[in-house]
Amino acid sequence: MNTYDPLNALLIFIALSILIYFLFRPAKGWFWIIKNNYRTNEKMVIEDILKLLFHNENSGKILNTNNLTQILNFNNSLIIKSIEKMTANNFILLDGEQLKLKPLGREYALRIIRMHRLWEKFLAEKTGYDKSEWHERAEQKEHELNTEETNLLASKLGNPLFDPHGDPIPSKTGKMAIINGVALSTLPINTVGEIIHIEDEPDIIYKQILAENIHIGSHIRVTENNNTRVSFFSEGEEFKLAPIVAGNLTISILKKDIINEGNIARLSSLKKTEKAIIIGISKESRGENRRRLLDLGFVKGATVSIDLLNPLGEPNAYLIKGTAIALRNNQASKILIKKIN
Amino acid sequence: MENKNIDDILALSKELRWQIGDDFHDHLAEGIYADAAEIVGDAITKKNKKNKFSIDSKIDRIVTSKTWGFPIMFLVLAVILWLTITGANYPSSLLAKILLNDFHPLLKNLATTINTPWWLSGFLIDGVYLSVAWVISVMLPPMAIFFPLFTLLEDFGYLPRVAFNLDSLFKKSGAHGKQALTMSMGFGCNAAGVIATRIIDSPRERLIAIITNNFSLCNGRWPTQILIATIFIGATVPAAFSGIASLVAVIAIALLGIFFMFFSSWALSKTILKGEVSTFNLELPPYRPPRFWKTIYTSLIDRTLIVLWRAIIFAAPAGAVIWLISNIYIGNESVAAWIINSLDGFGFLLGLNGVILLAFIVAIPANEIIIPTILMLTVLVTGISVGNGAGVMFELDSANATGEILRAGGWTLLTAVNIMLFSLLHNPCSTTIYTIYKETKSLKWTTVATVLPVIMGLIVTFLVAQIWRIVF
Repeated sequence: MNTYDPLNALLIFIALSILIYFLFRPAKGWFWIIKNNYRTNEKMVIEDILKLLFHNENSGKILNTNNLTQILNFNNSLIIKSIEKMTANNFILLDGEQLKLKPLGREYALRIIRMHRLWEKFLAEKTGYDKSEWHERAEQKEHELNTEETNLLASKLGNPLFDPHGDPIPSKTGKMAIINGVALSTLPINTVGEIIHIEDEPDIIYKQILAENIHIGSHIRVTENNNTRVSFFSEGEEFKLAPIVAGNLTISILKKDIINEGNIARLSSLKKTEKAIIIGISKESRGENRRRLLDLGFVKGATVSIDLLNPLGEPNAYLIKGTAIALRNNQASKILIKKIN
Repeated sequence: MENKNIDDILALSKELRWQIGDDFHDHLAEGIYADAAEIVGDAITKKNKKNKFSIDSKIDRIVTSKTWGFPIMFLVLAVILWLTITGANYPSSLLAKILLNDFHPLLKNLATTINTPWWLSGFLIDGVYLSVAWVISVMLPPMAIFFPLFTLLEDFGYLPRVAFNLDSLFKKSGAHGKQALTMSMGFGCNAAGVIATRIIDSPRERLIAIITNNFSLCNGRWPTQILIATIFIGATVPAAFSGIASLVAVIAIALLGIFFMFFSSWALSKTILKGEVSTFNLELPPYRPPRFWKTIYTSLIDRTLIVLWRAIIFAAPAGAVIWLISNIYIGNESVAAWIINSLDGFGFLLGLNGVILLAFIVAIPANEIIIPTILMLTVLVTGISVGNGAGVMFELDSANATGEILRAGGWTLLTAVNIMLFSLLHNPCSTTIYTIYKETKSLKWTTVATVLPVIMGLIVTFLVAQIWRIVF
């Protein structure tokens, strides 16, 4: 014990803690970075390039090698090597500087997209990961699953057609449902429609959409559309977005005013003395949560009112089918109601 | 021909699947529920609908009101804890007198008269019997008071309102409002608290409640806290205030436990548990008069006796181990002394000592026997002539005498503070660990629940010890 000194012991402890923090802190920890770099291999690079080419060709853009090295976060020699390999495998056609997908490459890209979207669906339905994490996790997982596992996953999820953002999931044979929608930013005032797709890239814009509490499947009515702002009315609230954010929401235009959306509101907006009839549960409520709400009786046509207000603001207790059920505000906001007098 | 038809139908169904879209299943489910609700509405007529709600909503308005809701909750919890701690004193000391002071010597005499070899009677009577008797006398009375009281409140319908009031605090740390109940249950017994997490039906929040339940200071640990606080903390202030000072110290430890519960709930929900499914809903059942005798009976059988039985099963081998390590010699020293010597350096770093660490290790099965084990081991290594010999746990009637032994064992105020902290922040007892495994059916979560508090305890006591030594 001759060498013991409390100050030294404390300093050593602090140094160790800092080291552990830098090694293992979420996402940016050195340990994770090294692990990810170790995992990055040719397969991943090839698959990411194919996906990128596929998406761009679908929107009519042809990329060249320079674009790839700029967009993708891999080191350049790895990209060049992968391109050579892809050409040799008949995935792409090198037309001068331009890269074009061949049928084999398209097929491969569709398989990766299928895995990605299925995994997002899985995360949404069967796990508790936050929405903002789905994309990142699927980006990683799409390289790890093989075709057989993907098909198994698909059948366990009931062969879904759309991922939670509203993107169609390619089938086993590469078939994809077609979305008939237009970007919100292009709609004239007073158009009535349904949000059918929320783009999850780029991350910054997606986070803004999440923060606005905009739900997929919601009916909307455009109230303002100009260069600086797109506003719309939905579920009893008014939403104001920048045009660039609105461009990431896809709307399917409804021919007639099927539901008089002026009356639809979210359960979270119900006041103590009001009564309402439930219209449905938003698509944003998924998996176990959704089934639980249905089990408790939050079904179309049921009357609901407030039983007790919480001293701390939430959860409030709602009286449904003679039972008092307390729900948190983020759940209540996903139950759609029509207020009655 | 037929096969071709079937193929056609299959192909058609596949084609149609694409057309009906993704929400088909949801619409179907919603439709079925809605139809069922309509049929029920037509077929059943309800009478006296208003009567039932008038009394309920009056009570509800009071117990969930902004002014009264929280004071009522704290009052109820304080009364239950007070009733448990003071009410258990008398039966506990009676049991201790019968089982430890009267029956134990009787058994020893009996063993001598029938010429049992010393090692056999020592192993069985001083080891196994004594630790089982100790656990029963310390554990049974408080549990037999605490659980029925708690179950009565539950039966009455008050507890869901507590969860309702507190939920938004727990939501901030990613937990469920009902964790307030399992946490309070943990003040009685962590194993029972873990079982009680069954009321939380959301998988993620339930795991959080299970893993953090150990931060509720349980019945087995209250006496340790009170004794140490009385001896060491009470002595730092003038005699007139010593009672208050030690009380404040114990309450501070319990509050610190609640802080760690919130903190680790938050940390768990943000890291390793974020992938678990999380659903929330809380039913507020109507109030009803508690079924008194039935409640007393079931809570005694279901909660108290089952937990007690598990504790006995684990305490018996612990007693055996304690006796064995004190009586088996390697060279000139007993096994216990060897272990204590090798743990002393590490213990010093934590502001504790080898005796304490060894006591916490052998007393994993039951927190109740920590103080008796520490006393016995201290006497063993210091050679003071009190107690009943190697491997025989004992406790003294007066706190002063206990304090003298501990001071002779090298204890300071720092040791006392750190043992109070470590008693709060260490692994759950083996009964609780076993219960966690039974409830989660997962080795992973059992390990997390076991190791997490130990790591916290080591870090906290280490930091306190170093800073203490730098400051004083």
